[in-house]
Amino acid sequence: MKKLTAVLLTAMLLLGCLSVPAVAEDAAYLGVMLGTNVMSLDTNLATDGDSFEVIADCIDGLTQMDADGAAVPALAESYDLSEDGLTYTFHLRDAQWSNGTPVTANDFVFAWRRIAKEAGEYAYMLDEIGNIKGAAEIISGAETDLTTLAVNAADDKTLVVELNVPVSFFPSLMYFPTFYPINEAFYSSLEDGTYGTSPETFLSNGAFVLEDYTPGTATLAVKKNENYWDADRVKLPGIRYQVVGSSDNALTAFRTGALDVVSISGNQVSAAENDPALAQNLTVTGAGYMWYLSFSQTEKNANGGQLANNNLRLAITNAIDREYLVDNYVMDGSLATYTAVPPQFASSSTTGADFSADQDMFKEFVDYDPEKAAAYLETAKSELGADEFTFTMIYGNNEGDEVAKVAQAIKEDVEASLPGVTINLQPMTKAERLDKMQNDNYDIALTRWGPDYADPMTYLGMWITNNSNNYGFWSNAEYDQLIADCTTGAYITDYDARWEAMYKAEALVLQEAVIAPLYTKSQANLITTGVEGIAFHPVALNRVYKDTVK
Amino acid sequence: MLKYVLKRVGMALLTLLIITFLLFVLVRIMPGNPFPSERMSDEQIANKRAEMGLDDPILVQFGRYMAGVLQGDFGKGTSLYYGAPIKTVLSTAISNSFRIGGIAILVGTLAGLALGITAALNRGRFMDGFCTVFSILGVCVPSYVFLIFLQYNFAFRIPFFPYFFDPNRFLFSTVMPSLSLSLFTMSTIARFTRNEMVEVFDSDYVRLAESKGLYGRKLVLRHVLRNALIPIVTVLAPLVVDLLTGALVVEKIYGINGIGKLMVDAIAGEGIDYNYVLALGILYSTLYIGVMLLVDLLYGVLDPRIRVSAKAEEG
Repeated sequence: MKKLTAVLLTAMLLLGCLSVPAVAEDAAYLGVMLGTNVMSLDTNLATDGDSFEVIADCIDGLTQMDADGAAVPALAESYDLSEDGLTYTFHLRDAQWSNGTPVTANDFVFAWRRIAKEAGEYAYMLDEIGNIKGAAEIISGAETDLTTLAVNAADDKTLVVELNVPVSFFPSLMYFPTFYPINEAFYSSLEDGTYGTSPETFLSNGAFVLEDYTPGTATLAVKKNENYWDADRVKLPGIRYQVVGSSDNALTAFRTGALDVVSISGNQVSAAENDPALAQNLTVTGAGYMWYLSFSQTEKNANGGQLANNNLRLAITNAIDREYLVDNYVMDGSLATYTAVPPQFASSSTTGADFSADQDMFKEFVDYDPEKAAAYLETAKSELGADEFTFTMIYGNNEGDEVAKVAQAIKEDVEASLPGVTINLQPMTKAERLDKMQNDNYDIALTRWGPDYADPMTYLGMWITNNSNNYGFWSNAEYDQLIADCTTGAYITDYDARWEAMYKAEALVLQEAVIAPLYTKSQANLITTGVEGIAFHPVALNRVYKDTVK
Repeated sequence: MLKYVLKRVGMALLTLLIITFLLFVLVRIMPGNPFPSERMSDEQIANKRAEMGLDDPILVQFGRYMAGVLQGDFGKGTSLYYGAPIKTVLSTAISNSFRIGGIAILVGTLAGLALGITAALNRGRFMDGFCTVFSILGVCVPSYVFLIFLQYNFAFRIPFFPYFFDPNRFLFSTVMPSLSLSLFTMSTIARFTRNEMVEVFDSDYVRLAESKGLYGRKLVLRHVLRNALIPIVTVLAPLVVDLLTGALVVEKIYGINGIGKLMVDAIAGEGIDYNYVLALGILYSTLYIGVMLLVDLLYGVLDPRIRVSAKAEEG
């Protein structure tokens, strides 16, 4: 036995000696936690925030976000907009890919055609949101000639984009990674399916170049791009990403110094708040997405369509104590939300005011008021001729630690304030939840939506008749008309009138309780003392490190 | 013997084919969507399904899939690592899980055998009691709890090992997960070895060998241990598969991109990734069937009686 122990110990020691401890330059790199594995570095295929973040470290788009999230020039030095608001002409600056070839207008043409051809998750940014001429036809498969997409290179440095209708926020779409360029010659030289799967098969033109990455790995590293057009601005020698699966592990990793930037949730946030050594490192930032309840209004669900009753939906909406919810269950600084468009991501370009700064604007329809809720319920009972209601609420069990608690709290609130209403909880994977919602096979769903671009329309656009995200199958002609006017009609050239029309639309959504807004998610971050200048954004790119120092 | 082996291998391959087909069908009737999307139109999704051939008759789909698999092509992910060939992602995951699991098996089996033998030889004395307590602890304490203990003490308080798995310092960062994973194997093997050996020690043929003057190492190794090994090999086999196919929680805590985590991501991620679930299912089944085949053949080596019956079967 002694011998065995001795052998084992010697083996372990040898093992220790064999591997050289920590790479030397590592210490100057910024250690950053990722919540999930990076799914793809292919700008045309990536769909998740973590992938977008790493892509944006390495590739610049036509524009980039300033600290407040406004679009400022990046690869496009400047742009001209035609008088009718339909043609954007972008003038590119001198920039180069990490293999030394210059970034040209054709790199955008190639990438955008490919988005339309691949027709993946974010292709809708091209047609539905960006309204680029020719995009819808290619994405639906009706048109196969990619040259019909109205995106053209007038010369190497000039990109011309034609739109179907004026889109006031078009420049701010350009910082979204889907619209980033891909070098055609490089892409074509690679074996199919290998683009972006290793540092050798990926080209950068941005602040950092990819140093270490294999799909599926929990670690990823980028290092400073010395040939970046704005290289002087970038202070970090590199970033080392580490996927961390749980919040408590993130907290310990931060304490050991293994990571400089981590996200924590739930109990870890209060632990950090109460720990004098950590409290100074805690920063809460807006994560953008809003959690809300979706009600199915079709006859297929909710005992023959009981949730089509407006008063019943209003009763549930007004029975939920959102403040208690965020303070006791979500616990990461998330904001109780009483508007259909969450705060913090869309501000008026004329006044700079946050679209949803005033959370009391629609309190008449969305509030925590058990008495009012009970009154709505009484009306609903007489209208429906029923005294008892039983609904099933579905929620994802892999969508964050707090979701199950939130679902439970909603059930308790509703059942306490609304006698006769029973809510049965049904947890499932997010995939299954989405599947049920898309097939209209649910009563109530606890769901969320994150803004894809900095305009209230990213939320309001969902509730028009037959929109694929209109999971309640609500339909209102007045609403449809208002949204049409804002996106393709009367208001597109009158910024302020459009803004007002969107408030009108929002009022309709809440008056008819199409959804019951719950809270706007925040992110609690721990950042090592001395690390400064990380730009946090609730839209598009959650974290940007171009100005970060360590 | 050769005919016996061939027959076994044939059976194994047939089993594998049946399992793959069942998986192929089952994954398609699972709730959820291979293209999890909140932004694609119905038209887009229909086009994607058609592109992937999901609307063809199931047998046609299966035939096409198997033709690809036989050429080493497992397709691409639909909701995981889009675009990248599954081969690339899977090979990294396999190499990580196999190396960590392999070390855990090696350490666990050797240490378990040593512990078990020591206990059996010292029956009723201190070492026996120690081994029993250790085995019970080892079986009861989940490996990830032990990992957290190691992580806290040897990566946080004494920062000797890396806090997370670092593929660039493979050996160094293998120590803690392997050690925690080996605990269960070690305890199970120790317990079985001890009990089996004690039983064999009491058997008539060992008494006879002793009375003929055999003692010491020769008696223990050739007569006792060899006979005790058969049940041990039986328990070891599924343990080997379990360890090789990755331990989800340990992988998650230590940030190892292994097979266990990949399987969970494939099923419970954003969508159900048909191709990943299938590729991993085939891998799991191949391993399991392979190890079982190996065990069958090992029995023959360990126990001459089984060899004889195999011969009888042939004849």
